[in-house]
Amino acid sequence: MTTLAKRGLAITAVGLLALAAVYVLALAYTPIERAQGLPQKIFYIHVPAAWCALLSFSLVGIASILYLWLRDPRLDLFAESAANVGLAFSLVMLTTGPLWGKPVWGTWWTWDARLTFTLFLFFLFVGYRALRSAVQDPGERARFSAVLGIFGLLLVPFVHLTVYLFRTLHPQPIVLKPSAPSLPGEMLRALLASLGAYTILMAGLLMTRYALARDEREERDAG
Amino acid sequence: MADLFRAALAIAIKDIRVEGRSRTALISAVTFAALVLVIFNFARDPGALPKSALAPSVLWITFTFAAVIALNRSFALEKENAALDGLLLAPVSRSAVFLGKYLANLAFVFVVLAVTLPLFVLFFDVGFEGGLPGILAAAVLATLGFVAVGTVFAAITVRTRFADLMLPLLLFPFLMPPVTWAVQITTRLLSGRPVGEILGWLRLLALYDVVFVTLSLLLFPLLMDE
Amino acid sequence: MPVDANGGGGYMVAAYVVTAVILGGYALMLWRKAKRIASSE
Repeated sequence: MTTLAKRGLAITAVGLLALAAVYVLALAYTPIERAQGLPQKIFYIHVPAAWCALLSFSLVGIASILYLWLRDPRLDLFAESAANVGLAFSLVMLTTGPLWGKPVWGTWWTWDARLTFTLFLFFLFVGYRALRSAVQDPGERARFSAVLGIFGLLLVPFVHLTVYLFRTLHPQPIVLKPSAPSLPGEMLRALLASLGAYTILMAGLLMTRYALARDEREERDAG
Repeated sequence: MADLFRAALAIAIKDIRVEGRSRTALISAVTFAALVLVIFNFARDPGALPKSALAPSVLWITFTFAAVIALNRSFALEKENAALDGLLLAPVSRSAVFLGKYLANLAFVFVVLAVTLPLFVLFFDVGFEGGLPGILAAAVLATLGFVAVGTVFAAITVRTRFADLMLPLLLFPFLMPPVTWAVQITTRLLSGRPVGEILGWLRLLALYDVVFVTLSLLLFPLLMDE
Repeated sequence: MPVDANGGGGYMVAAYVVTAVILGGYALMLWRKAKRIASSE
């Protein structure tokens, strides 16, 4: 196993431990919100998943731009890995969202702005993946998926704009907004801890996925 | 610059001529649009939902889905007999190839629109009143944008397995913003709202066009570089 | 639609379990793959 894969696995392990700590913190040490009750605690694992999905999508787009510029196959592998990791996080985002919506909004799914936006993010990830698996020639696959990645990156603001022009049910931003965060201290701490844990986990998964894809390819080329 | 447009025009005219000989794709797309309109009409409970409530969505979904069929055709033709290689070997720039394909696709999609719109009026019994110019403006602006994206994606998907399935899978997310805005415009105009209310949406459509036509022009030449 | 503070615990548990299964499962899959590549070297 290469050092990069080993390091990636180590960071993934740290991320998983941190996530376990967040579970304890969120489930045992945060207050139960008065209006929403226990389902409010889904917030701590849902919001960071959305953050990681969006972050990996941006990484796919940036790696795609760099690939078309520098033509380094490593950038293509990185974009592929980021899309793969992002798909896992967007699955978390899309499953925890309705699980929160059912008890709090009274419905599994609603065409709320942010919910719709995340669904499109998911579709873009799926399309990207489907395209990669449908092209055989590595050079073509890299170019085609890079072009799709850049188109997707530019589509994101348009989708965002479109869904926001419609009425939204989603809770308004409570952390990243001009005035001070309006979350009670303990809740904010749990959310920030969760964001940290998720980001570490994502970095670990991405590093591992990338290193393994690279090793696998080198092995194939050698053998 | 003049060379670029001359080459692009030559490619577009070639495409239109080839299509003019068989008309297979165009007839399929137009028939598809008519069928979807008919199905929409029967898929609606006439007692529960008035035609006018559904009309704008029906128009746009029918038109864009039929357009995707027309787009699938644009490079499929070149794949037979390796005509695409011939086109790429020709002494014209890749930008000219894109522009030519883009112009031909625009021509096909406008024909689809020209058939869909009257059929829509006929089947759904809508009166455009003074709204027709606004709806046409929305249609033209929406088409300019999504056909540019569709032309690039069709060039990609024609080289994949399951090309006919892959194009809608990749393109539909890109249809969502223009279709949403166009439906907003149509809804307002059909209910007799003043033109001033749709200017914002038209501006959004124009912004989408500028961004994605530019991006298509920049990225298409990078697709094929053996 | 507010719910009473005791309700909805099941949704919370489901969400936490699903998250752990997806992210943990993904990490496990990568770990297995790493072992497979290491053993074939």
